[in-house]
Amino acid sequence: MTDALVLISLFAVAATATAAVVVRDPARQALVLSVLGLALAVLFTVLQAPDVALSQLAVGSALTPLLILLSVRKVRRRGRREEGER
Amino acid sequence: MNAWLACAALLLVAGLLPVVWGTARGPLGHRAMAQNCGTSVVCLVMLLLAQGYGRPAYTDLALVLAVLGPVGTLVFARLLADELGEAPRWARPATALAVGATALVVIASCVATGPGRAAVKVALVGVLLAAGNVIASRDLSAAHRDGGHG
Repeated sequence: MTDALVLISLFAVAATATAAVVVRDPARQALVLSVLGLALAVLFTVLQAPDVALSQLAVGSALTPLLILLSVRKVRRRGRREEGER
Repeated sequence: MNAWLACAALLLVAGLLPVVWGTARGPLGHRAMAQNCGTSVVCLVMLLLAQGYGRPAYTDLALVLAVLGPVGTLVFARLLADELGEAPRWARPATALAVGATALVVIASCVATGPGRAAVKVALVGVLLAAGNVIASRDLSAAHRDGGHG
């Protein structure tokens, strides 16, 4: 049973990571990335490493998407401003 | 073979695959809603794993996720408000399903742990998760309305 759980979560991580690569828009990638964080947390828990899963959850569920979205917004705003100056 | 672990595996397959599928394609509003459902699925899986492995300490994972998951969805709702688009038609049924599953799993876990601090903690996780899911789902729909006109 434990092996099946490990296999399932490994497959989930692989599928989500592939989806994160296939999706091209950064804002959409942030959404897939937060799901990837969740899948990784499940994998770590199944592998009996709850401490790693805890930090993965703390970083992956709120912090990484926030950083990515803030960067995307800043880059877009700068691009718009430079377009306006021209 | 453990019934809790079997349930966790089943929930992982039946819950996470549609979530990944939903976040990887479709309009942005649908993706955000699918991500919101993913939080509930994984939090419930954590609760089931804590029961299955017989380690109450694993409930902490579900607690952290129940607090931080909706926060992450709210981040998306705030920062993507302009481009979220229409909330999907399945938003309401999906939220209702998530809340129902949360109630089911939490009540089962509470009955299995018996009265005490551990049961209170599991119940707290359930309440936080259900409330967070409803609030985040509402905020995603509201973000579309505000962003569409503003």
